[in-house]
Amino acid sequence: MSHANHTPAMKMGIPIPNSKLGMWLFLGTEIMFFTAFIGTYIVCFFGSPGWPTSTEVTHINIALGGINTFVLILSSYFVVVAHEAMGLRDFVKARKFLTYTFALACVFLGIKGVEYKGKFDHNILPGRIAENQFQLMNNRAREFETVLNKELDKIVPGRQLPYEKEKELEKRREEALKADPKSVTVQTIDAWRELRVQLETLRTDLSANKLTPEQVEERIHHLPNNVIDIQAQMYHDQKIIPYGNLFASCYFLMTGFHAIHVIVGMILFARPLTSTLDERWTDWVENSGLYWHFVDLVWIFLFPLLYIVPGSLGHAM
Amino acid sequence: MSDAHAEATHPHDAHHVNYFAIFVALLVCTALSVVFDLVPLNGYIVTFLVLAVATAKAMFVMTYFMHLKFEGGWKFVILLPTAILAVGLMIALTPDIGLHYYTYDVPQVREYDKAHGIEFGAPHAEAEHAHDGHSAAPADKPGH
Repeated sequence: MSHANHTPAMKMGIPIPNSKLGMWLFLGTEIMFFTAFIGTYIVCFFGSPGWPTSTEVTHINIALGGINTFVLILSSYFVVVAHEAMGLRDFVKARKFLTYTFALACVFLGIKGVEYKGKFDHNILPGRIAENQFQLMNNRAREFETVLNKELDKIVPGRQLPYEKEKELEKRREEALKADPKSVTVQTIDAWRELRVQLETLRTDLSANKLTPEQVEERIHHLPNNVIDIQAQMYHDQKIIPYGNLFASCYFLMTGFHAIHVIVGMILFARPLTSTLDERWTDWVENSGLYWHFVDLVWIFLFPLLYIVPGSLGHAM
Repeated sequence: MSDAHAEATHPHDAHHVNYFAIFVALLVCTALSVVFDLVPLNGYIVTFLVLAVATAKAMFVMTYFMHLKFEGGWKFVILLPTAILAVGLMIALTPDIGLHYYTYDVPQVREYDKAHGIEFGAPHAEAEHAHDGHSAAPADKPGH
C-alpha cells in the first residue's frame, strides 16, 4: 500500500499530543497509587477501636495543614496562569509564574518539614510507639540505654562496641586519676558507672515484672544529673497510644509519598526554568501543570482525611 | 495526518476560562471546610460536609485547571477504570479490616476491651474510639 498520494479517510488517534496522553495515563495510575494508601488508611481507621484522634496525642497541626492547602491551591493557580501565558507566547510572564509556583512548592516542603520535626521530637514514628504498659516501660529503658551509650561515646571515642569501651574505662580512669585526682574525666567516669548500675537495676526489676510505668518514670526522674544530664536527652511525654504505630505508618506513607511527588514536580518545573523558555516548552509546561494539579488534588483529599475528620469523628464517639 | 494533528493540538485556545474566579471558588471551599470543622455539629455530618467540599474542590481543579471540561471522551476511558478500581479496593478491604465481622484477636483489641470493661469476644456495637492516648492506668497489673 502506497502512502504517496493517499489521504486517510478516518482520523487516527485522539487529538492531543502523545505527551499529554502519556501524562494522563500516568496520572490514572497515580490515582490508583494514592487511593491504595488513602483507602488503607480509611479502612484501618474504621477498623481500629482506640485509634488516636486527639491532636495532642498525634501532634497533627491543623493550622499548618490549612496553610499548606492554601499554598498548593495558589501554586495550582499560578501554574495555570503560566500555561495560559505560554499559549499566548508571553514567555516572560510564563517564566515569572513558573518561578512563583516553584517557590510555593519550596514553602510547602518547608512547612511539611516543620510538621515532620514535630513528629520526630515526640517519637511519633512507626515502630517506636508504645501500645501497652510493657512496651512503654521497655521503651524508656531502651532510651536510657541509648543515651548512656552516647555518653560513653563521648568518654571513649572510637568504633568499638559499648562493652569493649566499658573495659577501657578503668584504664582511662587510672590515667586521669594519676594526672589529677579531681579531674573532670574521673568524675564523668564515676557518674557514668553510677548510671550504668541504675540501668542494670531498672532492667532487672523490669524483667521481674516488679514495676509500674509511674515507678519507671520516678526512677528516671531521680537519676543523678549533676555531671551527666540524662533526663535532658530523653523524650518528655511518652504515652501509650493504641494503634499508634499503624497511625504513624499511614501518616508517613501518605504524606511522605505526597512530598516525594512534590519534589518530582519541582524537578519538572526546574527544567524549563533553567533553559530559555520558548514555544518548544509549551507541551512540557502543560504536562507539568497537569502533574502539579494532580499533586494538589491528592492534598485536597489528604487534608480533610488527616487533619479534620479524625478530630470530628473522635469527638462524635 | 500531521497537519490535522498540529491543527487540533491546542483546541482549547478557543475556550476562555476565568482562572482567577476558579481560584476564588477554591479559597471559598477551603474556608467553608474550616468553618464546618469549627461549627459544633454531629461528627458524622461534619465529616460528610468536609468530604463533600473536598470533592467540590477536586471537581473545580479537574474540570477547569486541568481543562477536562473541554476534552473529549477519552477522559472517561482513562479515569473511570482507575476510579472504579480505587473504590473497589476500599470495598474489598472493608469487611475484613474495616468492619471485623469476626472476633479480631490482636493485642490492641484485648487492651481496649480490658480498659473498657468489655468481655473479650463480645461483639462491639460499632467501632468506638477513645479519643486520646492514655498514660498507664494504675489499676492495671504491671507487665503483660
